[in-house]
Amino acid sequence: MLPLSLLRTAQNHPMLVELKNGETYNGHLVSCDNWMNINLREVICTSRDGDKFWRMPECYIRGSTIKYLRIPDEVIDMVKEETIVKNRGRGDMKSGRGGGQGGQNQRNRPAARGNFGGGRGGGKAGGQGGRNPPFQKQKPKQ
Amino acid sequence: MASGLDAFVNHTVSIITSDGRNFIGTLKGFDQTINIIIDESHERVYSTTTGIEQVMLGLHIIRGDNVAIIGLIDEDVDNRLNLANIKAEPLNAVVH
Repeated sequence: MLPLSLLRTAQNHPMLVELKNGETYNGHLVSCDNWMNINLREVICTSRDGDKFWRMPECYIRGSTIKYLRIPDEVIDMVKEETIVKNRGRGDMKSGRGGGQGGQNQRNRPAARGNFGGGRGGGKAGGQGGRNPPFQKQKPKQ
Repeated sequence: MASGLDAFVNHTVSIITSDGRNFIGTLKGFDQTINIIIDESHERVYSTTTGIEQVMLGLHIIRGDNVAIIGLIDEDVDNRLNLANIKAEPLNAVVH
C-alpha cells in the first residue's frame, strides 16, 4: 500500500500533522496531492512546546515541511485495492530494465559504460570491475 | 527498482527518525521516497532515570525525509524484554 494512497483515503477524516519544526496541526483533511501538500479545515495549531494554541478555519501545509501524519486507525481498511496493479508494474520493470541488465554487466562486460538502462546499477558495478584487476596485479609486486 | 523494504512489509519494524525518536509498528507500505505507513504503532521514549515509556499512537504516515533507520524487530526477542527495567539516554537529533 502506498502512503499517498492512504493519505488520499483519509480525506474528510480528522488527523494530526506534525511539522519538522515541531508544530502540530489538528484538523480535517480536505485535500492532498502527490507532493503531500495538504489542505486542512477547522485547525488547531499547537506550538513546539505545546504551550501556545491557535485556531484557524483552514490552512494549507507544504508537504516537504511535514514530519509525520497521525491518521484514524479505521482509514487503513478503507483504502481501495490498487496495490495489486502497482506491484505488477514494479515486477515488470525489475526484469525489463535496470536490475536484470545491471547483473549482466557486472559479470560479462566489466569496463562497459553508458549502456542504456543499465546506466545506474550496471555502470557503478562496471567501474568496480575495471578497478579491481590492476589492484590485484599490484599485489604480487609488493 | 527492488527495495530492501519489500521484505519488511507486514512485519514489526523499528524506525528511528532524524529527530531521534523511535517508533515501533507494523510496516504496511512505503514508496520511492521512503514515506512509510506504520500501523498499531507506539513510540518508545528512553530515559536514564525511569524505564522505557511506551506511548500508543496507532496509524501513522512518516515522511521519508525524517526516516534515518528502519530495522526489522524479532518479536520473540522483543517480547522477552522488560522495557520498564531498561534505561538509556535518548538519541539526539541528526545534525545536518
